[in-house]
Amino acid sequence: MRWNRRTLAFAAAVILAGGLAACGGSNSTASSGAKGGPVTITLYLSGDVNIKGMWDNVVIPGFTKDNPGYKVNIVFSEHGVNDTVTLQRLTAAVKANQNSGADLYEAGFVQSAASAGLLAGVTTQDVPNLSKVSPAALQAVNGMAAPYRGSAVVLAYDSNHVTNPPKTMDDLLAWIKANPGKFTYNSPNSGGSGYAFAESVVDRYISPADLQTMDTTYDPQLESSWSKGLQELHGLTKSMYQGTYPNGNNAVLDLLGRGQIWMAPVWSDMALSGLSTGLLPSSVKLTQITDPAFTGGLVYLGIPKNIDQAHKLAVFKLENWMLDPAHQAQIVNAVKGFPAIEQTYLPSNTAQLFAGLDTSNLRANFEARTQNDLKQQWQTRVP
Amino acid sequence: MSLVQGRRAADRSSRGHERWRGLAMAFPPIAVVGLFIGFPVVAALLYTFGYVGGPNETIASLGQDQVTGFPTAGAYGKVLGDPSARASIVATVVVTILTVLIVLVISWLVALYVRLTGSRFAKIVSALSVTPLFIPVVIASYAILTFYAPDGFLHDLATTLGLPGFPRVSYTLAAVTIGEVWVNLPFGVLLMTSGLHAVPNVLIDAARDVGSSLPRTVRDILIPMNIVPTVIVSTFTAIYVLGSFTVPYITGPNSPNLLGTAMTFSFMSYGRPQQAEVMSAIVFVFAAGIGTLYVWANVRSDRGAGARG
Repeated sequence: MRWNRRTLAFAAAVILAGGLAACGGSNSTASSGAKGGPVTITLYLSGDVNIKGMWDNVVIPGFTKDNPGYKVNIVFSEHGVNDTVTLQRLTAAVKANQNSGADLYEAGFVQSAASAGLLAGVTTQDVPNLSKVSPAALQAVNGMAAPYRGSAVVLAYDSNHVTNPPKTMDDLLAWIKANPGKFTYNSPNSGGSGYAFAESVVDRYISPADLQTMDTTYDPQLESSWSKGLQELHGLTKSMYQGTYPNGNNAVLDLLGRGQIWMAPVWSDMALSGLSTGLLPSSVKLTQITDPAFTGGLVYLGIPKNIDQAHKLAVFKLENWMLDPAHQAQIVNAVKGFPAIEQTYLPSNTAQLFAGLDTSNLRANFEARTQNDLKQQWQTRVP
Repeated sequence: MSLVQGRRAADRSSRGHERWRGLAMAFPPIAVVGLFIGFPVVAALLYTFGYVGGPNETIASLGQDQVTGFPTAGAYGKVLGDPSARASIVATVVVTILTVLIVLVISWLVALYVRLTGSRFAKIVSALSVTPLFIPVVIASYAILTFYAPDGFLHDLATTLGLPGFPRVSYTLAAVTIGEVWVNLPFGVLLMTSGLHAVPNVLIDAARDVGSSLPRTVRDILIPMNIVPTVIVSTFTAIYVLGSFTVPYITGPNSPNLLGTAMTFSFMSYGRPQQAEVMSAIVFVFAAGIGTLYVWANVRSDRGAGARG
C-alpha cells in the first residue's frame, strides 16, 4: 500500500513533467524543401460562422479542385475569442523564429500585426491578381497583407417611418436631433458598425492630410483634433434611443428589427443576411451617406514573416486564386460582402449587386492603435 | 533512558518521513497551480508595476499607453486618476454589496420557508429558485434586457395599470444588479436550504416548547447555526460579481459599468493590457479581502466541528 502510494505520486510527477515538456516543446517548422509544391496550409480564421461556411463551401473546395494535392486546414476562432492569445503567440513565434501554428491569418488583428512588422510582405509579383486591388487598400497596410473581401458600414432605415433618408452626414445628424430616441449606434468598443459612425463624425473635423496620416501611422499628437467630433457625439447622446449605446453590432440590429429605432449604422453583410433570414423586416432599407461616408473595412490575410518558402508559395497561390474575378464573385455572393478587387473587374451580374454602392471607395478606418485610442476616448467623453 | 530517546528519535524520523511523503503527494497539484496560476499572476503583477521584460515582453510589445521603468506605481496612478475608471470601481463596489444583500435576504427567506413549513408549495418555490442554474447566463441576460426594456413586459404592465412614467431598467446598473441576483440566487438558496436542514428539529421544537416566538427562534437558533453558509454565500457571490462580465456587458450602461467589462474593453478594444491588469489587481485586492472572510468562516466551522467531535 505504502509503495503503491509512493509510486502513484511519482507517476503523477512524471506525467506532469512529461506533459509540461510536451507543451513547451517546439513544434518547429517542418521545412519541406524550398521549392513550391503541394502542401497543407493552416489557416487561422476568426469571425462568424458565415465566414467559416464561405471558406468551407466555396474557397477550399474550389481551390483544392483547381490545385490538386493542396490542402487547407482551418483553425476556427468563433467571434475571435482567441484573437488576443493568437496575436501574442504570433508575436512570440516570429520573435523566436518558431512556427506560429498557422500559415495564414484572417482576423481583425492582421492590420496590427502588419504594422508591428510580424508579417511577410505581398507584391504583385507574388500574387499577380493583386494588381486588381485598389492601390490605397495595399498602402493602408504598407503592402504587408492582402485584402480578399470587404464589408462596409451602411445606413439602415425603416422605410415605413422614414420616406426620405438622409443623403449626407449633415442630413443624418439633423435627422437624429429631429427624431430623438429613433437612432442609436453600438458603443465603438463593442463592434465595428458603431465605431464607423463615431469615426465618421470625428473625421469631419480633421484635415484630409492628417486623416491620411492617421489611416496609416500611429501619431498620438494628431489626436487633439478629435475633441470637436467627440463633443458633437456627446451632444447626440440625449437624442439616442433611451440615451444609451447598446453593446455589440447585433444589439442594434435587434432594436431595428423590433421597430424600437428607425435608423442605425449597420454592417452591410450583417444587414443583408438579416434581411434574407427575416431577422430584419423587408421594410428595412440600406443606403450610404456621403461627406463623409461611413468607414468600411477590407478584410486582410496575413502571412507570418518567418514562414518557410514552400508554405509561402502555397499561400500566395491561394491568395491569387481568391482574388481571381470569378472567385471574388463567389466569395461576394457567399457572404454578402464587398469585393476586394475593383468593381470593374467583377462579372457584370455580380457587379449589379453593388449598384449605387461604391465598393472600391471604402473609406478606410484609422490605423489599429489610433482606433484603440479613439474607442477609449469615446468611452470617457461621449456617454 | 536511551531506549526512550531512541523511540522518540524513531518517532521523529517517521513523522519527518510522513511529512516528506505528504509533500510529495501534494507536489503535482501545487506545481500545476504554481505554474499555471501563480506564475502568470506574479508576471501580471510585475507588469502593473512597470516590468516589461521577461514573461511580459510579448504583451508589452503589443500594448500602448504603458508605464514602464520597474518599479513604478504609475500605471495605478493612471487608472485611479481616470474619472471613468474611478466611477467603475465605485459602481462595482455598490453593485456587489447590493447583490450580496439581496441574495442573502431572498435565499434566507426561501430557505426558512422550506425549513419551517416543508409544504409542497415551499418545495416548488425552492426548486424554481434554482432554475437559473440551468439557463445560460448569456440567454438570461438578453431575457432580462428585453423584459425590463421600454417595450418589455414590465413596462407594458405598468402602463396598463396606469403608471406610464415607469422608469427604464434596461441599460442601467439596476438591470446589472437584477442580473447578478438572478445568476447567484440558486447557489445561495441551495446552500442556505441545506444549512438550515442541518439544524436539528429538536432545537427548534425545544425553543417553541418554552414559548419562544418564531422571530425569536430564527434569531437565536437558526441564524447562529447557519452563519457559516451565510458567510460562504456572501463571499462567493461577492467574488463572482466583482469579476463578472456577461451580465454587465449585455444589460448594463456604457459608463460607469462594472470593472469586469471595463478591464475587458481595456484589454481587447483599447489595446491597453497594462491598465486592464491594474484593474484586475484592484479586483484581486477586493477579492482577497473577501477571501479572508471565507477562510475565517471555514476555520471557525472546523473549530466548531472539532469541539462537537
